[in-house]
Amino acid sequence: MADRPDNVQYTKTHEWIRIEGGVATVGITDFAVQHLGDLVFVDLPSKGADIEVGTAVAEIESVKAVGEVYAPIGGEVVEVNGDLSADQSSLASDPFGAGWLFKVQIAGEPAAGLMDRGSYEAQLES
Amino acid sequence: MTIRKTPLYAAHAEAGARFVDFHGWEMPVQYEGILDETRRVRNHGGLFDLCHMGRLVISGPDREALVERVFSGNLAKLRHGRAKYGFLLNADGYPIDDVLVYRDHEVIHIVINATGRDGDGPWVQQQCEAAGFNATVEDVSESQAMIALQGRASEHVLQPLCGTDLSAVRYYGFANAPVCGHPALLARTGYTGEDGFELFFDPQHAPAVWDALLESGAALEVRPIGLGARDLLRLEAGMPLYGQEITTEIDPLEADLAFGVDLTKDATVGVSALRARQAAGVARTAISLAQVGGRVPRTGCPVLRDGQRVGIVTSGGVSPTVGKNIARALVTREAAAQGGTFDVEIRGHTSPMSVVPHPFYKRAR
Repeated sequence: MADRPDNVQYTKTHEWIRIEGGVATVGITDFAVQHLGDLVFVDLPSKGADIEVGTAVAEIESVKAVGEVYAPIGGEVVEVNGDLSADQSSLASDPFGAGWLFKVQIAGEPAAGLMDRGSYEAQLES
Repeated sequence: MTIRKTPLYAAHAEAGARFVDFHGWEMPVQYEGILDETRRVRNHGGLFDLCHMGRLVISGPDREALVERVFSGNLAKLRHGRAKYGFLLNADGYPIDDVLVYRDHEVIHIVINATGRDGDGPWVQQQCEAAGFNATVEDVSESQAMIALQGRASEHVLQPLCGTDLSAVRYYGFANAPVCGHPALLARTGYTGEDGFELFFDPQHAPAVWDALLESGAALEVRPIGLGARDLLRLEAGMPLYGQEITTEIDPLEADLAFGVDLTKDATVGVSALRARQAAGVARTAISLAQVGGRVPRTGCPVLRDGQRVGIVTSGGVSPTVGKNIARALVTREAAAQGGTFDVEIRGHTSPMSVVPHPFYKRAR
């Protein structure tokens, strides 16, 4: 299991978000990756796209299932992790680092109910 | 519905399996990971808990006549000690299940799917009564365990534990011989495209036999395998899954499984209906499709040609063996005859997929 960082916030649908200045980096947690199993395909939003908080903006597909990623914040996508289209292994090996999905120039408020690490882990165990 | 567990449930849980509800059975879907388990069976070997599948034993003076009536294959041409794949057909010629029939001297064994456990036995019994045969249909699903050992290591792993010379048991042959000292039927059959064995024996010995096989196979990289890899292995090897490639709406002629039907057998339920449809011309056929990367084609995805829907994916997945996404699809015969590339619609996106030879994988012998 990856060590879950304290400098990100977590959603109940297993995304994470790291806000630095006006830009948010978004990914999915080790729990989500583990739950999906062997990953085989990632579809990320396009650079320049405007995404709305709470909507499905990316697909993470495994051998057995498809997971949708819900935007924990809205704004313009300013960068996407292009390495993931050919090789999804960093999602499993480093989900909070090299396995990031996309970065958003923040517009508006983040989704309600973001959690710190302790609250997220308490939810996982409940 | 009550969730059922096999006698090996505790062994799976202890080995760290992830479970799934498979038609009312809590079964291991994976242990180390579906792709790694698939590669393991192709390269080494693996052990499968198949206790959830159904098993019928037909006995009595008219047993052969009864099996000829309900089984699409030709039992008379099957030698004793041999197994054959085929179907139980309804009166319209559509499969109510696909089965393996094992012809022994005193009895005939029929292995059916988990989904057929409630219906197949009573249906065979009805056919027995309708024909006035003197035969007994016994459902031994609960009183027999079933374990499959599959992969090139199989003979080497099983030989020290069993009381017969396995080199004398040919592919699709079987023997009655003890496993770990317990009476068993050992069949050189399976559903992975690899060499291997399926073992039938008293379920009270299932955990001990399971552990003994894993111990015997440990040095040869043999490990337990879940249903996720089992589904990929059978798809790669071109083997159908009942409920997907064949259903009560997709017949064996359409599914390109005519080898499982003897169309000359007038005594078999459903065969005359199939023969009539063959004479009239079969409008659909099964094809195999592959593509590198992208969204994974799955059961139910529409298959398009020039924007027009011409068929449907019956099974799809990611093949670690051929390194592509693969799919079996049922399409119009007209579209299939043109060959080339089809578009498969996956969650609103279309992916081009090329027609490839069937099966996707065939082991070197």
